[in-house]
Amino acid sequence: MPEEEKKSGGFWDAFKSILYGMAGHDMARYALKTRGSMEHLFILITMGDLLGIPILPPYYSLRILPYVVPQIATWKRRMLRERDLTDALA
Amino acid sequence: MSLAQIFRQHPERRYIMFGGKGGLGKTTFSAATAYWLAQQGHRVLVFSVDPQASLSDIFQRDIFGKGPVEIVPNLFAEEIDADRRIRDYQEEIRRKILDMYGLEAVPDEIEDYIRAAAAEPAMEESAIFDAVVDIVVGQDYDYYIYDLVPLGHALYYLSMASVYDQWIAKITALRQEMEEYAQVARIMQRREEMEEDKILRELQEIRYRINTSSSILTDRQKTAFFFVVIPEEMIILDTLKAAQLFARFRVPISGYIVNRVLPPELAEQDIPEYLRNRLEMQKKYLAEIERTFGQEVIARIPEFERDITGLPMIERMAQAMFGEE
Repeated sequence: MPEEEKKSGGFWDAFKSILYGMAGHDMARYALKTRGSMEHLFILITMGDLLGIPILPPYYSLRILPYVVPQIATWKRRMLRERDLTDALA
Repeated sequence: MSLAQIFRQHPERRYIMFGGKGGLGKTTFSAATAYWLAQQGHRVLVFSVDPQASLSDIFQRDIFGKGPVEIVPNLFAEEIDADRRIRDYQEEIRRKILDMYGLEAVPDEIEDYIRAAAAEPAMEESAIFDAVVDIVVGQDYDYYIYDLVPLGHALYYLSMASVYDQWIAKITALRQEMEEYAQVARIMQRREEMEEDKILRELQEIRYRINTSSSILTDRQKTAFFFVVIPEEMIILDTLKAAQLFARFRVPISGYIVNRVLPPELAEQDIPEYLRNRLEMQKKYLAEIERTFGQEVIARIPEFERDITGLPMIERMAQAMFGEE
């Protein structure tokens, strides 16, 4: 019996995956992209000093620093790179 | 109403502050009030939020950065060492980074940032502001007496609290919105586990600390704020201006204390012209203070023949402030 359940479950899962691919994936991608942009905005307003733009009182931005250490490299690249037309397509 | 009566009638006012321009006697009044309250059997902490604190000088004991030091039974005094607090705080941030990511050393760029942040001019004020939260949430004392910074700084301190608060509210909202997007993505991808946003929690903690510190300053029930003035024209004008600004920040002003009043009996004695002129001048400005602040003037403290340092002088000052007439 459990064997059979697994089978039908497998089919059901596959079906859901297809459905997700058709409808949900784009939305999820969009949501994650928006969140990514906001993440960069967030780091800018908390860690602006790193670019020479002090925004948050540094005493409190230090408290947040440990959590954003991994993002800082990509964030600086994103903030400081030059932009061109292809950015709009991304 | 006398100072002693005010304290007896309002035992719920546990946070006592003396504000005024530099050098008018804020620290003296703070120390003498703490001394008197301790004599009445209350457990009192007088602490300084001024980076150039002078509690050590008035008590003639080095208490800088030593935490609460018991001066006489029930009377504790504390001077916050902002520099050390900043250093400890930097170290804590470094530790956290190393632990969180299992690193051997803090990356250069991050290290530079930690160092640069500590050199910011507002850092010292922020550190003291933050330290006050630890002091007042402890609830170890019946009374907390703030030896405040001079007026301009105190206003900066107050406005800093409201700016910080609005600022943190904004980024907290941004963070919450970010969480919503992340959640949408998770639901779409049918991932069930939702990791708690640690940054959001950290922001809420920051907000709580700022609010605790600033809400005490504006708490009508628990806080008494006294202005210190002296009978001189400039001081009266500045105090009036400051009082209006403080009122705008909703600081509950409990009254005005006039310091450095020359004893009027002097006039009957044979005194030099110089002193007579000063007496005349003070008479004029005392009348002016009466007109300006009226009923709100709760005490007139005489000018002493020497400066107030050491316990015997503090006791005399407490007698002058709280002695029943």
